[in-house]
Amino acid sequence: MATTGSSATRAAVPSLLDKDAPDFVLKGLDGKNLRLSEYRGQVVLVNFWARWAGDSRKEMPALDRINKTYARAGLVVLGVSVDDDERRAGEFADSMRVSYPILFDTGETVGRDYSVQKMPMTVLVDRAGIVRYQNVGFKRGDEDAYLDKVRELLRE
Amino acid sequence: MNSKNRLVSLKWPAALLACAWATVCLAAPAVTTPVSPPTEAAPAAPAAPAAPADAAAGDPPPATSDVKTLDQEVQSAKKDVIDLNKDLFVLEEELLFPANTQVAVFLSMDVGTFFALDSVTIKIDNKEVANYLYTAREADALLKGGVHRIYLGNQKVGKHELVAFFTGKGPVDRDYRRGATLVFDKGVGAKYLELKITDKVPKHQPEFSVKDWE
Repeated sequence: MATTGSSATRAAVPSLLDKDAPDFVLKGLDGKNLRLSEYRGQVVLVNFWARWAGDSRKEMPALDRINKTYARAGLVVLGVSVDDDERRAGEFADSMRVSYPILFDTGETVGRDYSVQKMPMTVLVDRAGIVRYQNVGFKRGDEDAYLDKVRELLRE
Repeated sequence: MNSKNRLVSLKWPAALLACAWATVCLAAPAVTTPVSPPTEAAPAAPAAPAAPADAAAGDPPPATSDVKTLDQEVQSAKKDVIDLNKDLFVLEEELLFPANTQVAVFLSMDVGTFFALDSVTIKIDNKEVANYLYTAREADALLKGGVHRIYLGNQKVGKHELVAFFTGKGPVDRDYRRGATLVFDKGVGAKYLELKITDKVPKHQPEFSVKDWE
């Protein structure tokens, strides 16, 4: 269960599992544009968040720990804000002091491509650009599930 | 919606070809490999002591040549698939964007000392048709001489106005947004337009222009 994503999640949201991760290019908090496909060959964790979602606040420090531990092993963590207000989202991201890039999906086009219906949502993309894990929300134990899956994908 | 459907319908022959190719590749070893063992197994049966020597002496040459032939076949099949894919791609573009309505807009950059490109928005007849964010890698590729096709679409024959907005960092790291306009006449053939970003050295400013490739 931990490695395949929760079945409840899959029932609620159209699943992207085992499909090509929709490519996107978004502006980052530092002003740089990042494109998902440029990380082909690396394992990418994409986390959709919003400042009004309480679970995002809990999840971001956990993702930061994962990023700090596995960045050298080839993991890339991208935080995608789906907030309408870029400025306030930026302030929130600053306050969270995460080490990974924060991107803004103000047009919500990427959120639509990934069928984001509930916040936060986390997607793991393997080295070939295929979605291998999807999780909606954040509860106790999810961090361990992410770690298991990240380790598995990094070994491939 | 329609164009998507057309895309899908054009892609299925490619998928079929790929399947056919995969079948050929998978089938090929099954056909070729059993050929050599029976010929060697036949003499081995009556004369048991001679069999190992025969097998040792006779086995490697046919096996290597078989592998070579198979490898060549696979390579040639791969080449055929790539060629077919290219043809299908060209055909797809010709169908989706016929020459009499086709308009393509390219972006090129020269030097780029006074401008760090961030994004380009294109409007044709006041309607936004393209908006592209450039990553650092893409901007680097443009500076190295790359050309990016930023828009490919259909426009009616006649006069059209193209407005391109360039955003990025200008001299002394200032936020920079400039526009360039061109009124072009779409004839019966395909129309190619080039957005050029160049450095204006005397003024220490970037220059943005649109070139109409006749």
